[in-house]
Amino acid sequence: MTQRKQAERNVRKPPPAAAPPAPAATEPRRPRSSLRARLGAWRDHHLYGFFSSLGRLAARPWATALTVLMLGFALALPLLFYIAFDNARTWSGGLREAREVTAFLKPSIASAAANAFAADLRRRDDVAGVAIKTPEQGLAEFRQLSGFGEALDILKDNPLPNVLIITPRFAEGDENPPLLVDLKNDKRVDLVQYDATWRRRLSDILGFGERAVAVIAALLALATLLVIGNTVRMDIQARAEEIAVMQLIGAGSGFVRRPFLYAGLWYGLLGGVLAVVIAIGAEWAIAGPLDRLLASYDHALALSGLGVVSALIVIGASSLLGWAGAYLASARHMAAGHPQ
Amino acid sequence: MITFDKVSKRYASGQDALAEMSFEIGAGEMVFVTGHSGAGKSTLLKLIGLVERATRGQIVVNHTSLTGVRRRGIPQLRRSIGMVFQDHRLLTDRTVFDNVALPLIIAGTTREEMGKRVRASLDKVGLLAKEKASPLALSAGEQQRVGIARAIVGKPPVIIADEPTGNLDPQLSGEIMQLFAEFGAVGTTVLVASHDLHLVKRLGKRVLVLDHGRLIDDFRPTVQ
Repeated sequence: MTQRKQAERNVRKPPPAAAPPAPAATEPRRPRSSLRARLGAWRDHHLYGFFSSLGRLAARPWATALTVLMLGFALALPLLFYIAFDNARTWSGGLREAREVTAFLKPSIASAAANAFAADLRRRDDVAGVAIKTPEQGLAEFRQLSGFGEALDILKDNPLPNVLIITPRFAEGDENPPLLVDLKNDKRVDLVQYDATWRRRLSDILGFGERAVAVIAALLALATLLVIGNTVRMDIQARAEEIAVMQLIGAGSGFVRRPFLYAGLWYGLLGGVLAVVIAIGAEWAIAGPLDRLLASYDHALALSGLGVVSALIVIGASSLLGWAGAYLASARHMAAGHPQ
Repeated sequence: MITFDKVSKRYASGQDALAEMSFEIGAGEMVFVTGHSGAGKSTLLKLIGLVERATRGQIVVNHTSLTGVRRRGIPQLRRSIGMVFQDHRLLTDRTVFDNVALPLIIAGTTREEMGKRVRASLDKVGLLAKEKASPLALSAGEQQRVGIARAIVGKPPVIIADEPTGNLDPQLSGEIMQLFAEFGAVGTTVLVASHDLHLVKRLGKRVLVLDHGRLIDDFRPTVQ
């Protein structure tokens, strides 16, 4: 909008009684500014806000550092929760896929009888396949996965039973399929483990974790907003005189406000970057022991750290929070100096 | 250029600052407003810059009726008025150049144009050599001249000054007033509030005398 149009919009025509002595047509007006000039002015205003806000933060390095540190830690906390949770979800992925029914037979059931039992089961319509894990196989697997190999050598007899791993063919949602009922009632079976129950429980735990992380993140995001809002509010109060002068010489609220909005953006940006640095540092600090722990799980698992995209999202979101906090804080302070 | 038509101002405290004031100031005219403290000089200037709103009556500044200016329009109005304050109100965290450039930054002037105009107005007040100094490093008279340079840099059609010589000794005051008189000579309307009647009379310009919010005299002294 040109300055002329702006002026006409903002100024109502005086009533006829108080009509100006000179006709308005002779009024000297600035020539209509070109689009290029106006874009230049817009750019200059933003550059002014950008640099003056940066200068203000740099002028008080300790206060700025303190605010940024506070924001960094507040944001790092949910970020670390998120990383931990994300890994838990990845690691549990294999378990969630499991569909097998595992039937532990009684130790008294010999391998031949177990084979016969398996053959019986294979004939059922709701069974897609049955695999037998003999006590010897079970022991070898346990030795490999648990790391208790030497302790197992002390055992004279193999205490493990035959295990039938049955791939069922029944529908997913069925709470208590006949196959399970039959297996549980069979005298040869010691224990039936159906992973679906566990899987559901795991899903619930993960759902709970997801919600908990979201709630913590939301609370700390709100805290970030308030910390930045309050910092900017104090900054505005400290600069009340400067704001008054600017308003008196014709600065609009946008011009006065812009440096504060940029300051909020800077706080958010720096806080977000610090949070990411803290998260990466924490990751690095626990990586050594965790790797050793994970190695004992046959390297099937690995720590997945904070990705570039997630880091950028965190930094972007905290910058936005900073801007919003400054916007809220400055909104009510800009009315001063402008009578209704 | 400035017209008051039966303007009254009563503050929220109940104090009547101006009562039924009417006068007219033409374009390019230089006028002093004088009177004892509390007579309404400051209020009169505040009404022109819309720092305060009139309770009753009409004020027209630069062909704009102030009662019709909404809040969003106030910055636009103030850009057409150069304001000079008794305590000059410079921003001490930036240089003389940046202080004077502020109205141009606000108005969105290009940088080349800005440099030229800031130096021109610093030159007019005789402070071209001090453009890189901090306002704190200047004397009181120099600070006030920077304040004047800031008021004129945007080439406003109207300049208002509230006790611009209040903190200065007689000789500096005379110099400052002479500066204002020069702006009047180039077509700018200048309104200066001052309680220093002796100084005001010496310049031979039109004088409005206020007393308890009323206009009690409107004369042009003859220069001795």
